[in-house]
Amino acid sequence: MSSPHLTSLESFLELEEKGQKRFQTLSLAQSILRLSRLILKHRWPFFGGAFLIVLGTLAAVLEPRIFGYAIDEAILPGRWDRLKGTGLVLFLAIGLRIFSAIQQTYLFEILGQRVTQDLRLQLFSHLERLSLTTHSKHPPGRLLTRVTNDIAALGEMFSSGFVSMFCNLFLVLGVLVGLLLLDFRLGLISLSVFPVLVGLSIFFSKRLIRAYQDSRSKLSALNAFLAENLSGMKIVNLFNRQTLHFERFDRLNHWYADAQTASVKVYALFQPTITLSAGVSVALVMFFGGERTLQGSLKLGVLVTFFSYLMALFQPVREIADKWNLFLSGMTAAERVFSILDWPTEMESHEVETCARPIPSLMGKIQFENVWFAYQGENWILRDFSIEIHPGERVGLVGYTGSGKSTLIHLLMRFYDPQKGRILLDGRDLRSYDLRSLRASIGMVQQEVFLFSGTFEENMTFWKPSVDQRVHNILSQLQFEHHLGKTLLEKGVNFSMGERQMIAFARALAIDPKIWILDEATAHLDSETEQTLQNAVNLASHGKTSLLIAHRLATVRSADRILVLHQGRLIESGSHVQLLELDGLYSRLHRLQDL
Amino acid sequence: MSKNSPPKRSRFWEETSFLRVYLWKYRKWVGIGLGALVLVDFLDVIPPLLLKKVVDVVTSETLAQGASKKLFQLAMTYFGIAVVQGVCRYLWRMYFVRASLFAGRDLRGKYARHLFDLSVSFFDRHRMGDLMSLATNDVEGVRLAMGSGVLVFADAVFYLLTIPVAMWFLSPQLTLLACLPLPLIPWIVLRNEKKVHERVEKIQECFGRISAMTQENLNGIRVVKGFAQEEVQYRRLKELGEEYMRLSLSAARVQSTTGPLMDFVMSLGMVGLLFWGGGQLIDHGEKLITFGTFVAFQRYIQKMIWPMAALGMAANYFQRSLSSTKRLKRVFATQSDIIELPSPALPPFQRGKTQGAIEFKNLHFSFPGHPKIILKGIDLKIQPGERVALVGSMASGKSTILSLLPRLYPVHSGMIFIDGIDINHWPIEELRNQVGYVSQEVYLFSESVFENVAFGLHHWIEKGYSVDDHSHLIEESTRLASIHEEIQGLELAYKTRLGERGTSLSGGQKQRLTLARALAKEPSILVLDDALAAVDLQTEEKILQSLRSRPNRNTEIVAAHRISTVKDSDRIVVLNEGEIIQMGTHPQLASQRGGIYWKFYEKQKMREELESYQNELTPSY
Repeated sequence: MSSPHLTSLESFLELEEKGQKRFQTLSLAQSILRLSRLILKHRWPFFGGAFLIVLGTLAAVLEPRIFGYAIDEAILPGRWDRLKGTGLVLFLAIGLRIFSAIQQTYLFEILGQRVTQDLRLQLFSHLERLSLTTHSKHPPGRLLTRVTNDIAALGEMFSSGFVSMFCNLFLVLGVLVGLLLLDFRLGLISLSVFPVLVGLSIFFSKRLIRAYQDSRSKLSALNAFLAENLSGMKIVNLFNRQTLHFERFDRLNHWYADAQTASVKVYALFQPTITLSAGVSVALVMFFGGERTLQGSLKLGVLVTFFSYLMALFQPVREIADKWNLFLSGMTAAERVFSILDWPTEMESHEVETCARPIPSLMGKIQFENVWFAYQGENWILRDFSIEIHPGERVGLVGYTGSGKSTLIHLLMRFYDPQKGRILLDGRDLRSYDLRSLRASIGMVQQEVFLFSGTFEENMTFWKPSVDQRVHNILSQLQFEHHLGKTLLEKGVNFSMGERQMIAFARALAIDPKIWILDEATAHLDSETEQTLQNAVNLASHGKTSLLIAHRLATVRSADRILVLHQGRLIESGSHVQLLELDGLYSRLHRLQDL
Repeated sequence: MSKNSPPKRSRFWEETSFLRVYLWKYRKWVGIGLGALVLVDFLDVIPPLLLKKVVDVVTSETLAQGASKKLFQLAMTYFGIAVVQGVCRYLWRMYFVRASLFAGRDLRGKYARHLFDLSVSFFDRHRMGDLMSLATNDVEGVRLAMGSGVLVFADAVFYLLTIPVAMWFLSPQLTLLACLPLPLIPWIVLRNEKKVHERVEKIQECFGRISAMTQENLNGIRVVKGFAQEEVQYRRLKELGEEYMRLSLSAARVQSTTGPLMDFVMSLGMVGLLFWGGGQLIDHGEKLITFGTFVAFQRYIQKMIWPMAALGMAANYFQRSLSSTKRLKRVFATQSDIIELPSPALPPFQRGKTQGAIEFKNLHFSFPGHPKIILKGIDLKIQPGERVALVGSMASGKSTILSLLPRLYPVHSGMIFIDGIDINHWPIEELRNQVGYVSQEVYLFSESVFENVAFGLHHWIEKGYSVDDHSHLIEESTRLASIHEEIQGLELAYKTRLGERGTSLSGGQKQRLTLARALAKEPSILVLDDALAAVDLQTEEKILQSLRSRPNRNTEIVAAHRISTVKDSDRIVVLNEGEIIQMGTHPQLASQRGGIYWKFYEKQKMREELESYQNELTPSY
């Protein structure tokens, strides 16, 4: 079983751990700095909340003291008037503490919500501006996790981690000061175990964090394993490996439970040290403080206050150690988000960025001049490619898969930039135009139809508030009005393939583009839809510079010019009739499809 | 109401069954944990009493009476209790929490085991995200109810059983006074929880919309960019985010008050104590209550806050686990639709001795839960060792026929026979060993190349044969599939790890590897469902050649789109819309002018001609 060929589950785990670290390129300090800049954008809830925490802590520290004062100054001397006074003050202190507890939680929730909303939006708009090259390197699932889980972890850090950390920290400080102010000597005696406790807390929290990390990475390995098996269940079944794979899963499952147990063990050891420390210091005060009260050098009320303080001192230490983990995982999430925000966007990654100009009115003349392009390395898709397309010309592009026709469109849309040569639009370098107004003036129907979930209108107009007359005209021309008011499910699955294509088509038509691009879908349509689509294409390309990539040659038959591409080069060019006479690739393709 | 209550109770009984099962399974640990917890709670009554003693000693005795010694004893007792409590706290965490972790583990394992027992059609019907969420969120939901829920609940109950008793013992009047505001607490908790619960559902729904929208944008990034819609999408997310923020804040507004309000109610008891207790001490001296009692009550009131909050927490945990249990049970109730029937008529199977004869008798089929009939009466007999090709358009049903042979989907009895035995009577494992099925979609696991090819050989590995005993078999399969040399070319050769986080292979390489995986288990029937579509022509030719020139070849059924793949078959079967419409050898069928196969062939010829023309065009770079 221990053959070198076998991938052990251990190495599965190891890879999972490495994969988790891929997004983390920043140091903790850097992320804290960047996060604090974001926090400072929302000063009001932050400082408001911090102020209330201080106020609440003060009240919390005062309460036991008031009680002790009542014993010494009101009850022992038998003064009803003072008892009433202190009772009132106690009530006020309680009220203040409760008020600030409610308000500070709320204020920090506001802060957390705003910061996470800021980050979510920043991240989202950054993701939308990343180049397609970057997108193709990172599967959408991973990126989605950043926007959802990591942002949620950050929110959690703010709403429960932050408040609790601050409150407890202030409380510990307040009580420490209170103890020493009340009676310095007794304070020192009672706190003699405190440094040991702090040391132990640090010791345990480090181990806790390690244990948590361990169980987290085991969990993600477990989930990755299960996900892989659920997707490949057919193969697992065909090869009768259900039991074997279940056993593997169960081994990971046991490892995970054992890792969890290890962290529980650390925690279980940690908790009693606090109980013991508190026990020691209360016992010390019982003996030394009690004796001094007997001697008369310590008031009874002060002794009682001491007891209250010591009881209030130790729990917060534990909670700080507890929430420290929440804080750290929040910061890890922040690190990952920030490192994505540092990826260059497509604007930044372009070299030429000369006074990006918006497009006033476009003629629609397109020139490719000696364009070389490869998605990867030297794997040229376009080789020294040159064409000129005149304004208003209808051009059909024909060629086999991989001939480079879709790539032409991608370059024209500036999804990618060519490595060599240049592309001109109306005689000007494509890169001198404002990227988004360039794209907005080109109407494109992509091969792979992608519709959004939402209403039909939202898909047609891209969330414009109303459907204007022009769109209504388009819809009536396409006989599409009956779809108004319908709702599309995810990817438009409740519509037929043909309908989806028509919607994508109408959507592009609706933006009234200067240049019109159709990358025809390869999927089969019924003949009726195909006819409607054909009519729509003719309608759409009328008077516009049009590029039609066709898989069905009928689509391009009526084009002014047909360009035949082969392996990144233009090999034939001319009208349908001319190309048939040429008896080259086009005529052969045509005969094949006619069959 | 009375009519409804019995089924309601049994439903509750049903939805808490996991809790009971695992509490019982780990009853020893649970017992130790709960015992330790009871001890902690019980001992927690004592410290305030010790404080009372200390205060009483310092107020009423003097040093001369040996008060110092008493103080020392009290301090030592206090410390001693802290030690015992410390040990018990360690114990209940180690035992109780561990029991819940193990219960979570068991439930997760049970769930996974069940999934591995279900058939392919179940996974066609369910989204992977949902199944994963059951394994993570819902299992954790049940675990938390058992770990934290039961624990917190028990803790609260013991506190409420012990502390008020101690208080009553010290001073009934003060106890009544301190507990007067208590009934307010459940009222606050229930009122707030209800409001929060309503909002939390909305928040989750909104969060779901945010992730769905983000996911959609990432998947459709080309459309977003192509239409320059970044701003619009940003605004949409902003609106959703703002709604999320608004909902979260409105929930936080309520939620942030629960804890402090409970605290406030208890603290009112503290003010009451100060007035009434202090007043008593002023007016009557230590007749009714002593200073010590006064101080002890201060502590007790503080201790009463926790159990009140704990009850609310426990209710939350239980509520969450109920819906999780319901979802898990729904999956557990699903059974596989592939049932192994008894096989009395079967001769003892011996590996490699199966003939590989196949017979389809009036085969009708539609996918479970779908009304559309895919196969409409297929009759076909295939001899052992025969090579049959299935040809037809996408929806002709040829893939479906092939997927039925290894029983991926349920077929009625009397329709498919292998070696004369209904496949429903074959032991499933043996059947799947005999049928080497390679589908269109490639799926490899993130293991080494070797393990992926040896995927069907685990029986031998389990039986103690070493992997090296099978290296020759693996190599033979990879050579047959024309992938051996390319594997050798990889940096780690057969040890190369595949998958998302490993090396990625080209589509053609993956297909050949899946073919090698099926060949390695030496099936008597080889089923190739368009399995070589991503492999180039020459390589495909080579693979088919070597497959057919093997000495003891198997029965072979191939579905393909390429003429070159099918034309050398012993028999070609042409399917259309679930029916056989032509059958014969290539020369026979190709001569039937106007027939479907003839068209198919002509098209192919032209395509091949085109390809060779293209090759002429291609300059050598």
